[in-house]
Amino acid sequence: MKILVVEDEKGLAESIVAYLSREGFICEVANTFWQADEKISLYQYDCTIVDLTLPDGDGFNIVQTLKKIAAATGIIIISARNTLEDKIKGLEIGSDDYMTKPFHLSELNARVKSLIRRRNFGGNNDMIWKEIRVQLQSRKVFVAEKEAVLSRKEYDLLLYFLANTDVALTKESIAEHLWGDHMDSSDSLDMVYSHIKNLRKKIIEKGGKDYIQSIYGIGYKFTAP
Amino acid sequence: MKLLEKTSRIYLLASLVIYLAVGIAFYWIIKYMIYDEVESRLKVERRDFEAYVKTHDTWSDNSYFVENKIEVIPVSGRIRNEVIFKDTLILNRYEENLDPFRQLTFYTFIGGSPYRVAIRKSMIQSYKLIEAISATMITFLGLLMFGMFFFYRRLSGKLWQPFYDSLASIKDFDWTKSQKLEMAKSEITEFNELEDVMVKMASKMQHDYKSLKEFTENASHEMQTPLALINARVEQFIQMGDLGKEHTYWIEEIYHASRRISRLNQGLLLLAKIENQQFTEQENTNLAELIKAKLKDFEDIISHKQLSVSIDVAGDFIVLMSPALAEIMIVNLLNNAIRHNYVNGALEISCGEHYLQVSNTGNALKTDPESLFDRFKKESTGSESLGLGLAIVKQICDNYSLTIDYKNQELTHTICIRC
Repeated sequence: MKILVVEDEKGLAESIVAYLSREGFICEVANTFWQADEKISLYQYDCTIVDLTLPDGDGFNIVQTLKKIAAATGIIIISARNTLEDKIKGLEIGSDDYMTKPFHLSELNARVKSLIRRRNFGGNNDMIWKEIRVQLQSRKVFVAEKEAVLSRKEYDLLLYFLANTDVALTKESIAEHLWGDHMDSSDSLDMVYSHIKNLRKKIIEKGGKDYIQSIYGIGYKFTAP
Repeated sequence: MKLLEKTSRIYLLASLVIYLAVGIAFYWIIKYMIYDEVESRLKVERRDFEAYVKTHDTWSDNSYFVENKIEVIPVSGRIRNEVIFKDTLILNRYEENLDPFRQLTFYTFIGGSPYRVAIRKSMIQSYKLIEAISATMITFLGLLMFGMFFFYRRLSGKLWQPFYDSLASIKDFDWTKSQKLEMAKSEITEFNELEDVMVKMASKMQHDYKSLKEFTENASHEMQTPLALINARVEQFIQMGDLGKEHTYWIEEIYHASRRISRLNQGLLLLAKIENQQFTEQENTNLAELIKAKLKDFEDIISHKQLSVSIDVAGDFIVLMSPALAEIMIVNLLNNAIRHNYVNGALEISCGEHYLQVSNTGNALKTDPESLFDRFKKESTGSESLGLGLAIVKQICDNYSLTIDYKNQELTHTICIRC
């Protein structure tokens, strides 16, 4: 899976590449509009991550060019511009997702994976991790082939974990993934805790192992014990 | 009062006073001249009379003076040597009515005995003349006045037309749009100067507005990007397995602080944008429906805090406002009511045609209720709280002329928005 990261802030591009590479993606970086323009006309990418504000051009133009020459490429816009108009415009001209800076790398990773899955299988495949199998179409979860009935949030939480396995996830990124930006109270961290407790219990009940490992002060990691 | 109406009224009033004064003055001048003429004729007749008496030393009514023209009455005692002019009415011989006369009375000796002599002249013709002149004058002055009045009105209307056109185009002008202010050219220098000044001001306003908007957007971008970098680096750092307890603590602090700055930045930018009225799109938004829909987003936290929620919708509260701002306002209100609530507390929403009220249980306010809607005035309970939520709500309300007030009854806090 090849990903192009169009971002003028070199450090940020580097972090994104480092994070996504760990997940097995092959990443390339374009720091300017013209580099990006050249790369998309020369190579094929499965997914392109585009910053809107580039020193020598507007990211929207890259999205438009991509839509013309490589319609199969998934496009995620990352931008500091958080107005509704920008978001609507981004989606209208054909991007698949719009993320506002600052974002969590784990969230970006989850969205890239979900986008590629949607593009490649139409969301019609299963996600399998050890004895856990998630039927994406029907939103059903099986642990050792026994169905575990999860609430909506628990299901979302499990998918987020499965997209970011073996990676430390912060409580804040989990809370934001589940409830969005406006849920910024300390209550949301308690809620993360209780949802994780329930998810862990439900997986173990059906004969799974305890994959959710707490990391003191930071958050959780979904990994083989 | 409209400009035209005001000037018309002043014009009408002033011309009425002037014409009236002119009319009265004219009347008196004519009257004076006629009297002067009559009196000088009477004086001549007196000299004729005295000459007659001197030569004949007697007086008999002769053909020179006819019909009431002269009256010679003997008087006794000392005679006064005085000459008196006066108006008098005398019965007409043929018709039974009184005719006005001017009378000259003087005393003289005829044949050695004193007499009072009154010579008269009929004023009937003169009065008719005065009446005719006055009537003509009033008619012409009136016609002149109304003629001038309507001419003046039409002229003013025409002269001021460019002003009204300009006013209309200024009213239509929207500095948040890129369309330039266009005003009609006129023949009048002052209006053209006004037009120049207005066009300059308008383009300056548009320019300032645009640069302010760009500044807020750039500030947002310039700050969010380094923050995104800090976040990303911290997240990478977290992935290193062998972190000590102390390192973890520091990392956590850095992470929290950077997220806080980012949210603070977004909140302040939002406030700036609302203040600059950058949300120009307007729609009839039903706040009752919106709050019901938004409450669903808070389901999890409501059940987590085990809040009892009651909604009472008595009518649709429809406000013409930006849908984006309406959403921000409602979400901030709910967030506030839930965050400051305690476990097993209550959240009550009631809505009618002209109000929306959100009340929640919560600890007693430590700060002054007056400053509740000020920026960065917050209850210390949640350090996660930015202290911007209610300031944003207030700013949105101010933008759409909604009133917002807070009241509390013991531990129930109520925020009410009215139109």
